Amino acid sequence: MNYFGLLTGLATLLIIGLGFLLVIQGERILGFLWWPYMMMVGIALIIVSLFAQGDWLAVVIGVLGATFIWGSTELKEQAVRAEIGWYPFNDATRKLKPPFEKIIKNWRAPHL
Amino acid sequence: MNFIGVIAALVTFFSVWFGHVAVRKIEFISPTIWIPTAIFATLGLIVEFLSLSTVNRSLSIAFGILGITLLFDALEFTRQQRRIRKGHAPANPNNPRHALVLADSNFHATTLDLLKREPIGKPVSSDQAIKLITEH
Repeated sequence: MNYFGLLTGLATLLIIGLGFLLVIQGERILGFLWWPYMMMVGIALIIVSLFAQGDWLAVVIGVLGATFIWGSTELKEQAVRAEIGWYPFNDATRKLKPPFEKIIKNWRAPHL
Repeated sequence: MNFIGVIAALVTFFSVWFGHVAVRKIEFISPTIWIPTAIFATLGLIVEFLSLSTVNRSLSIAFGILGITLLFDALEFTRQQRRIRKGHAPANPNNPRHALVLADSNFHATTLDLLKREPIGKPVSSDQAIKLITEH
């Protein structure tokens, strides 16, 4: 029996669970316009996983990277949920403005 | 270079994407939720068994992650039905199970997808939330 895959699956479940928090708090504190940065963090983590010593570390960093990329595609919808009142709404003035905000506003935020 | 992290990342991303879309589409048209729940749970267990029986580490990881996401998707059918009842996801009037929910005033079901718009940066009332998606 090879338990590595099953344990990886369970670790993935935990990391995806943290992804829910990442999207909810990320949108509340930073705002959905941070999506390109969240995506970049995800891509960077996956690249870092290539150089990880040991399979466990590589898998955890890789899955964390995928969770950040997925999270970046959920931020826009989360902002709409907060506007409707399904989640606490935080005004834009209390959010941290992302660098190059004007440019990012011209891009269509991804949603899958 | 250790490619096992990239494999884990790709399987995670695509199985989450697949589950996200599949649960919504299947729950929308299925007259029952126990059948898709049972199918996804069975598939998840089979894929986890494959993960346990393979000696290839990459394949074991791919099956391990895919299996767990399928098992989670099995639970998501119930969660999706709850979203339909609350009006957080669009109900299908042609689905008899959803038609009952739409007719029941104890629920707040709607056929509209209130999330299908761009954020406007301010809180909106229930009426405004509907206007924002119907007036475009």
